[in-house]
Amino acid sequence: MSASTTETARKLMIEVRGLRKSFGSNEVLQGIDAEVAEGEVVCVIGPSGSGKSTFLRCLNKLEDISGGTVVVDGFDLTDPKVDINDVRRHIGMVFQHFNLFPHMTVAENVMLAPVELKKASKAEGREKAMELLTRVGLAEKANARPAALSGGQKQRVAIARALAMNPGIMLFDEATSALDPEMVGEVLQVIRDLANSGMTLVLVTHEMGFAREVGDRVIFMADGVVCEEGTPEQLFNDPQQERTKEFLSKVL
Amino acid sequence: MVAAFLAVASLLFGATGAAADTSASGSGNSAVEGKTFVIGTDTTFAPFEFRNADGELTGIDMDIVRAVAEDQGFKVEIRSLGFNAALQALTSNQVDGVIAGMSITDERKEVYDFSEPYFESGVQMAVAKGNDDIKGYEDLKGKTVTAKTGAEGETYAKSIAKKYDFKVKSLDQSASMYELVKSGNAVAVFDDYPVLAYGIAQNNGLKTVTDKVPGGSYGFAVNKGKNADLLAAFNDGLAKLKADGEYDKILDKYLGDPTAAQPTSFWELLESSLPALLKGLKNTMVVTGISFVVAMIIGLAAGFMKIARNIIVRGISTTFVNVFRGTPLLLWAFMFYFGIPQLTGLPINIWVAAVLTLSLNSGAYVAEIVRGGIQSVDPGQMEASRSLGLGYGKSMQKVVVPQAFKMMTPSLINQLIIMLKDSSLLLAIGFAELLYQGQQIYAANFRVTETLFIVGVIYFVAVMLLTKLANFADRRFNK
Ligand SMILES: Nc1ncnc2c1ncn2[C@@H]1O[C@H](COP(=O)(O)OP(=O)(O)O)[C@@H](O)[C@H]1O
Ligand SMILES: [Mg+2]
Repeated sequence: MSASTTETARKLMIEVRGLRKSFGSNEVLQGIDAEVAEGEVVCVIGPSGSGKSTFLRCLNKLEDISGGTVVVDGFDLTDPKVDINDVRRHIGMVFQHFNLFPHMTVAENVMLAPVELKKASKAEGREKAMELLTRVGLAEKANARPAALSGGQKQRVAIARALAMNPGIMLFDEATSALDPEMVGEVLQVIRDLANSGMTLVLVTHEMGFAREVGDRVIFMADGVVCEEGTPEQLFNDPQQERTKEFLSKVL
Repeated sequence: MVAAFLAVASLLFGATGAAADTSASGSGNSAVEGKTFVIGTDTTFAPFEFRNADGELTGIDMDIVRAVAEDQGFKVEIRSLGFNAALQALTSNQVDGVIAGMSITDERKEVYDFSEPYFESGVQMAVAKGNDDIKGYEDLKGKTVTAKTGAEGETYAKSIAKKYDFKVKSLDQSASMYELVKSGNAVAVFDDYPVLAYGIAQNNGLKTVTDKVPGGSYGFAVNKGKNADLLAAFNDGLAKLKADGEYDKILDKYLGDPTAAQPTSFWELLESSLPALLKGLKNTMVVTGISFVVAMIIGLAAGFMKIARNIIVRGISTTFVNVFRGTPLLLWAFMFYFGIPQLTGLPINIWVAAVLTLSLNSGAYVAEIVRGGIQSVDPGQMEASRSLGLGYGKSMQKVVVPQAFKMMTPSLINQLIIMLKDSSLLLAIGFAELLYQGQQIYAANFRVTETLFIVGVIYFVAVMLLTKLANFADRRFNK
């Protein structure tokens, strides 16, 4: 991977400084620092409950930020003057449980944002949706309802939907965890294609093999802090921290 | 000037009728000429007021007030509200006068101004036709009798209840009282003798067993200190009717020789009552339809307010829901139609009162349905929409609400049907809906069971059709 050599020259897409997040008195994120450069693929791993989802959801402000700063694509999310809806159009998000809109067809799911946000006419929106659905291999399901799709197909539609506004960044929160094993491959393939296309990706994942394969960098989180980070080779082959070793010994 | 003088004179001398003789002789009375007065009356007090086979309000009171109006040159708009409702409407200035076979009593004189008596009444007791056990008051020991709430019959029955050891159960309508007696839930009824006489002539299944107790006199009433011109005109007109024999003709028409009505078949009853009932059905449907639209608007607003972040907004909505869910519909019907006008001094249209009553009550339930529907949508739906860059409002509109509505539809259809049936409670304020029309019919012909049966079938069919229509719309729009 060439990431490490050119990283400094590349534009920073995400810059997180001292990020804190509490739910009531429970401080779930206790000062996170992280950077993601343009075109970089960063995988976030760690034990369940360590705050990975919360971290990811702070990156598009689905969670209110309790402290620190998060700058995404040049927008400071903690600045009250920044219109969060504008920022979110630059960030696609894919959820563990797909969250497709059941009352719309597959194509309508994909074209909702461009049409409602006046970025495209209905016809253009549909054309764009068909293009994206072709890209994830589901053009023939355009007029189906989500309920008629398999889990893998649903997640591929969700990815197409997240891509509809041409975001510069895509966030994946355990995109394959809710899938039957035989469907994991088809979704990983779509993500792999995205990674190869040069898109900036942040992946929360339990697929260690996949993280090693596509990741430029891996962040290991534990108990609301970044415990260790590095290239996949460094982190998986030569972990420095006890917590990392312990976690990897359980999942590898 | 004359008008002003009449008004002042009547005000000063109350219902003495002193002013009557001073008005110009001959037809017409300058103080009231050309004016229209709203007159409240009972729904069901044959032969004083009842609906004839054509559904027109008729009877002694009606004939007298119309004849007086014609003589004095004013117009009347009759509102048949029910006895108590008519009096409340008078107190709240919803009507200008009341003629409802009402006895002139000292208590009533404190709040109303009465005309000269236009009818000398009296109370009589009646029992079921087949009852040979009750021959006099002595036979009432330990039994229950019925009488009309607030009427002279009730006063008399209560005055002798201790002595003869019986209980009095008061009801609102003569027809209901007769049914109570025929069903055996009361052994006798105390009612005004002309009413009883007329009912018996109509084959109401009763017979009188005691002599008439000479009683009070009936008078026409206006609110205390109001409408003195109208009162004076009534007295003047009444004096003329009595002088020229018209008055006796009217009484003869209803009491002189009541011809026993030929019992007609069920089908004839159906045929003759259907037009009036369908008119009632139309009012039921229209008031339900309008109220449902208003309830949806109120309910949507209150439902969204219930899930608002702002605690004050939430509090307002919660209070609204709790108040209207925690109080009876009927209370609000009385409140809007009688209470608020008395507080504000502004009369309220009965349709407005009816729609307010139904829609605020239903609105509270719709609010809960809306809140429940929205909260039952997976929060992930809102998150997915927000993460695409759609605002809160757009996300609600495009993603959450359509799904919520799908879940809400069965409950909303249910609410609509409840509302349709609840609208029958509006009869208590004299709103001419279906059941009210049914009451009007059996009040005149005393065929309670058959009439209620017809009304029930109409309600049932209407509800079935509405359910089918709503389910069809549901399938159509909530694919
Ligand atoms: N909405 C919430 N309210 C309260 N606590 C939450 C909420 N979301 C997450 N948490 C808590 O925050 C911690 C981290 O959760 P999460 O970010 O989902 O972890 P991970 O994705 O690494 O499994 C957990 O202890 C969880 O219970
Ligand atoms: Mg998680």
